[in-house]
Amino acid sequence: MTTKTNRLLLDSLSRRDALKMMGALSVAGLGELAFPEVATALGGKSKQRPNIIFILGDNHNANLIGCAGHPFIKTPGMDRLAREGVIFEKTFNTTSLCSPSRASILTGAYAHRHGVRNNHTPWTGQMTTFLEHLSNNGYDTAFIGKWHMPGKGLPDMPFLDLFVSYTYREGQGSYFNCPMIVNGEEMPSRREYITEEVTDWAIEFMETKRTERNGKDSPFCIYLSHRPGHPPCEAPKDLRGMYDNVKLDLPKEIDSWWFGKMNQNVFQGIMMGSYEDQYRKYCEVITAMDRDIEHLLDKVDESGLGDNTIVVYLGDNGMQWGTHGRHGIREPYEESARLPFIVRAPGLIQDPGSRREQMALNIDMAPTLLDLAGIPVPTEMDGKSLLPILKDIGVEGRKAFLMEFWKYYPENTPSYMGVRTETHKYIEFEKGREPWLFDLINDPRELNNLFGTADGEKLLPILKRILQEQSANASVFSNS
Amino acid sequence: MNKQEMKRAVIYPVSTVFFIMVLSIYMYSFSKTLNNDNLHQALAFFFGTTYFLAVALGTPVIYSFACLGGASLKLRILAISITPFAWATKECIKIFESHSLLECLYWYLNPLNIWLIMLMALEAGLADLYCRRLKKNRGENIRVANLSSLLTVFISLSLFIAAYSWGKGENIYVIFLKGYRFLFGSGL
Repeated sequence: MTTKTNRLLLDSLSRRDALKMMGALSVAGLGELAFPEVATALGGKSKQRPNIIFILGDNHNANLIGCAGHPFIKTPGMDRLAREGVIFEKTFNTTSLCSPSRASILTGAYAHRHGVRNNHTPWTGQMTTFLEHLSNNGYDTAFIGKWHMPGKGLPDMPFLDLFVSYTYREGQGSYFNCPMIVNGEEMPSRREYITEEVTDWAIEFMETKRTERNGKDSPFCIYLSHRPGHPPCEAPKDLRGMYDNVKLDLPKEIDSWWFGKMNQNVFQGIMMGSYEDQYRKYCEVITAMDRDIEHLLDKVDESGLGDNTIVVYLGDNGMQWGTHGRHGIREPYEESARLPFIVRAPGLIQDPGSRREQMALNIDMAPTLLDLAGIPVPTEMDGKSLLPILKDIGVEGRKAFLMEFWKYYPENTPSYMGVRTETHKYIEFEKGREPWLFDLINDPRELNNLFGTADGEKLLPILKRILQEQSANASVFSNS
Repeated sequence: MNKQEMKRAVIYPVSTVFFIMVLSIYMYSFSKTLNNDNLHQALAFFFGTTYFLAVALGTPVIYSFACLGGASLKLRILAISITPFAWATKECIKIFESHSLLECLYWYLNPLNIWLIMLMALEAGLADLYCRRLKKNRGENIRVANLSSLLTVFISLSLFIAAYSWGKGENIYVIFLKGYRFLFGSGL
């Protein structure tokens, strides 16, 4: 039976029917022949498929983790993940804005394919998420936390076993007492602070599934989407002020008081107090989230699931804190495009505690998780599985990727598209700015635009060709 | 009003506040180019403050001059609007880098501008009461506690506080974005 026929048949069966059929076929000794992937899914092989916990942070600058070398931030949970797994030092989003990045993470596709191009474009479900693929292959799945994609309320995702999220304030929620929606029903938050609330739901789901599995191959996947560090940042009371006395190293080009209130930065939720105050609060909420990540890790290990549970941490965007005189996430600078990304996969990663230099992307998450679960990666996904790189530090990574961005009102960044290679970045803007060309090796802070210079002219044809290849004729520009 | 009175009551005060705003914008931007960080911080703070004062607190100054100089209510309202409107227009022009003309016009309705209008109304109401007090002290037969001035103060203050208190301004911003999507969709 072909894989496609397999899938069509499986799609038409409920899980219970499939179990029954497999049971019958197993008795007849035909299970593995007829449904190889289902045989795996239903324990046809002795090794159980791994559980997956995917944790997503919000606007988390990749440098703001202890193990990434940050001078003062306390992130013992993420540090532990990195110690027991690997940290990727060059991970990027392909569209530097919340909703498109989140859709890319779920679908494994560039924004020009999945259709969520900015924070005003609704999610239509035109592409299947990796959660649904997992569910179709026998995983119990839970989406817990921030959804934040436009549309009428939350999407209809009947394949989820648990859907806990919120629509309050356009899906941004609130740090305290956020009204929740659990499987379509509105209910008040059970915990005061949002990271505790969503982590509790995740732990409950995990423990329920652990009890239910009872030796069977019945893996789960939890997609846990946190609110930190989205502004306006409010930490739990016991963490407030923890960074008040640390020396900050914010860029000299910004001023302490008015920068956060000028140039529409006021709409970034950083209006009150000084810019330094806002940065400290941002660090506090990252620490708050990390505390609950550590709590979740403890529970994973205490429950005996640690050896068979893959834990991933990723940020949806980076964050500029005053570099290049800008604040926010939209500009194609490294600070807003680069993401924190850590994977813990016991037994799979042979060199825990090491670092990966290969470029990884947000669109790689879906293919990687499916590959980890032993599920074929759909061809419509643009991303690549990182499984070979996780297993072997020496495996070569990608050489370039497409960066695309559609203007998002009311923020003042024009649409752009470009390409980032291992050594250079080239960006074309729809209007208002000349192109950017940066040598990322000799100018890692992206201060010297080589476009229009002699060096730039030499590089331009190559980079334009790479852009052409990467974009495959997709364009963000409205007159294309 | 004759020309001389117009100059004293309206043109000079408006021009002064407007000039302070323009100078502050220029000096604030200039301060970022300085290598001396202490000087940069000091100038940025000073001129950022004067910038804010000109836009947000120029109203009572201009209104008082206009009112005491005999300007009509319409002229007073026009006078206090010039600098804030110029500032709002500057902000609109900025986002023209990325967005269409209509979207830039919608920008006039953003929450910050709405608060500014409420603030201006509040300041004008208070300035009006102050001017009435001054006029009465000069011997004019005028009621100080004028109903329309008091109502202006009360309503604008209430709205200003309520709009901020409701989700610290986030909820107002959400409404602004919903309005944008209703008119423009995704903007693409």
